[in-house]
Amino acid sequence: MEVPPNRLTALMSIRADNITKTFGDYTALDAVSLSVPDGKLVALLGPSGSGKTTLLRIIAGLEFADAGNGRIYFDEEDVTDVSPGRRGVGFVFQHYALFRHMTVAENIAFGLNVRRRSARPPRAAIKARVCELLKLIQLEDHASRYPSQLSGGQRQRVALARALAVQPKVLLLDEPFGALDAKVRRDLRRWLRNFHDETQITTLFVTHDQDEALEIADEVVVMNNAHVEQVGTPQEVYDRPTTLFVHKFLGNVNRIALPWRGLFAGAPLPVEDGYVFVRPHDIELVHLNSDLDGDPACVTDIHAAGPVAKIAARRLDGLGIIDIEISRANLALLRLREGDDVLLRLRRPPSPSTVDYTI
Amino acid sequence: MNAFSTLTETSAASTKRPRNHIHDPAWLRYLLIGTALIFLLGFLFVPLAAVFAEAFRKGIDAYFAAFTDPDALAAIRLSLLTAAVAVPANVVFGVAAAWAVTKFDFKGKSLLLTIIDLPFAVSPIIAGLIFVLVFGLHGWFPPDTQAELLAPLAGVVRDIADATDFAFFTAVADWLSDPRIIFATPGIIIATIFVTFPFVARELIPLMQAQGRDSEYAAITLGASGWQTFWRVTLPNIRWGLFYGVILCNARAMGEFGAVSVVSGHIRGETNTIPLHVEILYNEYKFSGAFAVASLLAFLAIITLVLKSFAEWKFRQTD
Repeated sequence: MEVPPNRLTALMSIRADNITKTFGDYTALDAVSLSVPDGKLVALLGPSGSGKTTLLRIIAGLEFADAGNGRIYFDEEDVTDVSPGRRGVGFVFQHYALFRHMTVAENIAFGLNVRRRSARPPRAAIKARVCELLKLIQLEDHASRYPSQLSGGQRQRVALARALAVQPKVLLLDEPFGALDAKVRRDLRRWLRNFHDETQITTLFVTHDQDEALEIADEVVVMNNAHVEQVGTPQEVYDRPTTLFVHKFLGNVNRIALPWRGLFAGAPLPVEDGYVFVRPHDIELVHLNSDLDGDPACVTDIHAAGPVAKIAARRLDGLGIIDIEISRANLALLRLREGDDVLLRLRRPPSPSTVDYTI
Repeated sequence: MNAFSTLTETSAASTKRPRNHIHDPAWLRYLLIGTALIFLLGFLFVPLAAVFAEAFRKGIDAYFAAFTDPDALAAIRLSLLTAAVAVPANVVFGVAAAWAVTKFDFKGKSLLLTIIDLPFAVSPIIAGLIFVLVFGLHGWFPPDTQAELLAPLAGVVRDIADATDFAFFTAVADWLSDPRIIFATPGIIIATIFVTFPFVARELIPLMQAQGRDSEYAAITLGASGWQTFWRVTLPNIRWGLFYGVILCNARAMGEFGAVSVVSGHIRGETNTIPLHVEILYNEYKFSGAFAVASLLAFLAIITLVLKSFAEWKFRQTD
């Protein structure tokens, strides 16, 4: 294996402490704190308007938190009042923000060329660095092209190379794949993950795409409405959401009205009134005549196109329709038809946070 | 009659083909295009041709004689000087204003935008009159007051002039000790700057707004200073828009009549610009001379249009 070109001796952690940002009457961030461990790839995930991009820009120094006790630390150093150019961040913009009048090579070299003469590497060294980065982004043949002659995915890679040229200590990406089509998006996503594995550079990226965050991040920070909702590994936030919002935002979910007999079969009932939230694949179907306990429902719809079968069942007590996902093998085994009555059971007890009760 | 039969033929042909509901019927298209062409011919082409026809009526020699007249030469010199000061001044102002308006958020931004448009809204005569009221003999700052205010500066420049023996400094010192604005070159330049104020800024503001701030932000995160960001990123991004603004500004600076007429005083060989010189010649029934000098402005207009379309073409290319 070749030596990763961007390996740094010291990796930096990022810490945002108690950041508040308002635009007039609108609160974009409400006393938000966040910490990114060094060498990790972290996703800031949330719907539009949740404040994630504002937080990223404040970390980069492109935006300022409201006066107060909000601080930004890189490692233990307080960089709140340090200018963006001196923070040592590489920032990649959603719409690339490439310099249109410069070639790909000139774009990448920009950060080195604008240095003071005493800090500027010799011309040959800059050229070598540009070559190295062009190789990294697999665009060696495009050095003298202009951004307008590149595809979206290529432009985004150039933007990344330009940010990396100055050897930033942290990499900040604002919706890096947001403007690309689905196929390129997937490829580039995987490429970023591999790139991070090689370089280990502390990376924080903003996205509103759950799949993207869950697929490539080491850690996901879910934001909503100017707050951080939950922080955890992709598996943690998906399997054990601590808030209702996270549950709804990460994948499909059933809102099941209580009481429901089958739901807590074998487990104590936390409440008798209200709702629980259960993912479609956490529900299993059994035949009505089995000895297992469950809640009776009538199958109204079966969609078997795709990797899993999607089934809709109407509860016989009239308290709504429930979506269920089972494997196609399982569906074949059950020999289900639309109109069949079945029993619905939970595969595992719901976590306490997913119970929304009113007493 | 002939035209009519062609029209009916076309409409008959179009009924055979499936009707195209997106396009207007042929007769309407021809009517609109025809109207536009007649207007172009009547209001633009014929007058322009008339200028050149009149200019050359007494032959080539008379045409060129109009330019060798000392008053004409003085007028050309003054127009060039005015443009040479007014255009750079408004480039600096326009770029600074567009930069401030589009890259920063501040209170009173919409007020600034409105004020930039003011010279477009005000009649040029009023624009000239404003300066007569401010700097004229009975204005707020009459020449006496100006001399008083400028006296310290005049002293300094006089010292420099004595020490360096440069004619330029002597001239400046002379002017400062006896400042004349109205009915003199400075007034003409000031009035021209006022009138051409919006051209560059108006051209750049929408362009820079469309480009957004991300390029500048990118440059800053890469360690560029504000100055480097401006010269290496902002300016190259707007260069063709700026060029476009400059040529429009220049055309107006050379061609301005109203505002300049009010402040000039029409002193022959001293405070006449090209348009004012044309008027004087015309009023004195020197038609061929008037049209000859006017043809100079017509040439300027044509060159401006050529450069303008070149800028537009370049602009599309880089985008």
